[in-house]
Amino acid sequence: MQTTHSSADTDLHTDNLRRAAIDKSVKGPVLFLFLNGAFWLMASTILGVLAALKLFAPSFLGDCPILQYGRLQPTHINALVYGWGIQAGLGVMLWIMARRSGQELKNGKSLLYVAGLFWNIAVTLGLLSILFGGNTSMEWLEMPKWIWPIMLVAFLCFAWPMATMFGRAFRPEGFMISTWYILGACFWFPWIFVTANVALHCLPALGALGAGINAWYVHSVILLFFTPVAIGSAYYFIPKVTGQPIASSQLAQLGFWSLASLSGWTGMQHFMGGPLPAWMPAVGALTGVLLLVPVGVVGLNHHLTTLGKHDLVATSPTLRFTFLGALFYPVSGIMLALMSAFSTGATLQFTNAWYGFQIVAVYGFFSMCVFGAIYYIVPRLTGCEWLSVRLIRNHFWFSTYGIAVVVVTSLVAGVQQGGDLNHPEMWDQDFMQLVLNTRPYIVARAIAWAMITWSNVWFLIHLILMVAGLGRRSSAPTLLHHDHEDAAHPHGAHA
Amino acid sequence: MSNFRTFILTLIASFGLPWLCLIIIPAIKYQALTPVAYDKDKDGLDGYYPPAPINRQGQIIYAREGCVQCHTQMIRPPQLALDGWRKGWGQDQEARPAAPTRSNTLLDYLSEPYAFLGVQRIGPDLTNYGWRAPSRGALHLILYAPRSIHDWSTMPAFKSLYIERKAQGPVAEEALKLTGKSAPKAGYEVVPTAEAEALVDYLLSLKKDYPIPGATAAVAATPAKK
Repeated sequence: MQTTHSSADTDLHTDNLRRAAIDKSVKGPVLFLFLNGAFWLMASTILGVLAALKLFAPSFLGDCPILQYGRLQPTHINALVYGWGIQAGLGVMLWIMARRSGQELKNGKSLLYVAGLFWNIAVTLGLLSILFGGNTSMEWLEMPKWIWPIMLVAFLCFAWPMATMFGRAFRPEGFMISTWYILGACFWFPWIFVTANVALHCLPALGALGAGINAWYVHSVILLFFTPVAIGSAYYFIPKVTGQPIASSQLAQLGFWSLASLSGWTGMQHFMGGPLPAWMPAVGALTGVLLLVPVGVVGLNHHLTTLGKHDLVATSPTLRFTFLGALFYPVSGIMLALMSAFSTGATLQFTNAWYGFQIVAVYGFFSMCVFGAIYYIVPRLTGCEWLSVRLIRNHFWFSTYGIAVVVVTSLVAGVQQGGDLNHPEMWDQDFMQLVLNTRPYIVARAIAWAMITWSNVWFLIHLILMVAGLGRRSSAPTLLHHDHEDAAHPHGAHA
Repeated sequence: MSNFRTFILTLIASFGLPWLCLIIIPAIKYQALTPVAYDKDKDGLDGYYPPAPINRQGQIIYAREGCVQCHTQMIRPPQLALDGWRKGWGQDQEARPAAPTRSNTLLDYLSEPYAFLGVQRIGPDLTNYGWRAPSRGALHLILYAPRSIHDWSTMPAFKSLYIERKAQGPVAEEALKLTGKSAPKAGYEVVPTAEAEALVDYLLSLKKDYPIPGATAAVAATPAKK
């Protein structure tokens, strides 16, 4: 930020004008990504309900091959990861990068629209292919092999302008931790994506090593795309809303570099005790546990930054979602550590806990932070405020309880399932007990996804109304407690 | 980070190292793997390990239907899990086998473009299913109507892999012997398609516990072939 010697009023005015210009330059692409992302999120949660239903009642909706669990489950996860996660993530990344580096999106806006369009076409075709018989059964890469180059190019179209903004704004003195994370995500995702796809689709047979690379891919996308975007967003919005600077730059750096250097090693412990050379799962297990370091460091830093401003969590939708997302980061880290360590991992391996981890990382942690960001960004782009406090509250509570139920039941079901699989008494038993013991958890999962679907339908409608310009015409932001409206104006104060 | 180049280079190095060590070098080294010949004197066996490839046509159906979501193909060692001691999960179908089924090696999956180790274990492991599988007809019954075998089963019925048609003259030899609720109308029969046959071929070809060349203890414990 340039500071001049003119009066504070003029200063604020110029700053506001600059911000408005930056917002205007990224408005279209960012809203496009959010809107499509919210649509895919709703689709994914509906598929989540269906998949959970099919898991305990396989003949529900008849025996149509398109709707069998084996096809629905990957479609549900892929819609969540590629339709919602990466798409909405790109929107948040683009906006924060532009704002934080003080750069307008100079040109190539139409290219971003085209890239966004192609991303959505690729996701649509990919998901339909999974349902109609193109399932490759490689986790998170179930789409047919001709899809990934389209997605890669579309992603790079977004990553490139962000990298140039970062480069222009880079200053030797000081650093901006949120843009570090976002640049990292721009840079790691294509690398991971190309590596996994080339290895699994283009190279000659890799057999069991291919399965290891697949597990590495899933972990890497979680740890080096979803995690950095969510942390970057939290690092941006927590200080923004609380009005307090990030507590410690040393902790911020430590958290970043420990995540960057450890994450690439982890993943293959997913197949512990399997055919991979023993050092691969061992190294994965080690780093899977060591990743508690960035979790603790970043968690502490976020906590110290929020300290003393916890009342804002109640009033600001942005801070409330971000706060909850940031709380889910330690949960996902602990789940990863539990599944990585050989002692506990042997029980949790091949159980529902794995699903629980994916959901806590992609939904509980990442999506909650992104919701927080969306509640902040969209009013600034559309020029109107969120219509209804009730809808935001509805979204928050149904998502929170839904996700908590999915994660807790998956983890407990995992312990139960792992116990049933490994109990010595079970050596000559069939799977009846396991199936019957898991059933209540799966029923709970279906109900939880239905709750989340409910919250997301309203989120989508709310977002559509905002993008259509039908929001509240007001200079006061929509806060969650009317009583405190004049007491706390965090958004107004920080534009 | 003092300047932009240092920052980018550190970023590249911190991820490039695991990328190189964990993915690239193992992938290159994997290309050099070839079947190993058994030593007639030491192993008492002829031929190569792994001996028989899996049925790839059926594996494509296996992937397409997402069987991996519930079935694993990986036996874990006894110090980690119960897998090896599970009844019938190896070649030895005895109630109390002398030795646990061995865990798998990289070479077990050599003939497969991609090893479907599995996502979850909601149904039994299929690594060595070929040994314990029932007859072809019974296997078709499981695929067509899983709940005709176990009423608690949550396995989907893969009816789309079968054709229900009007019986022409005597009931076809390959027709499924269905009884009760899943039986077709009188005068009709259910026959497997080529895809169902391929899937069954694949399931029957799943035998990954052949003795490892040079592992004499394992060979001694391996019973004679069925």
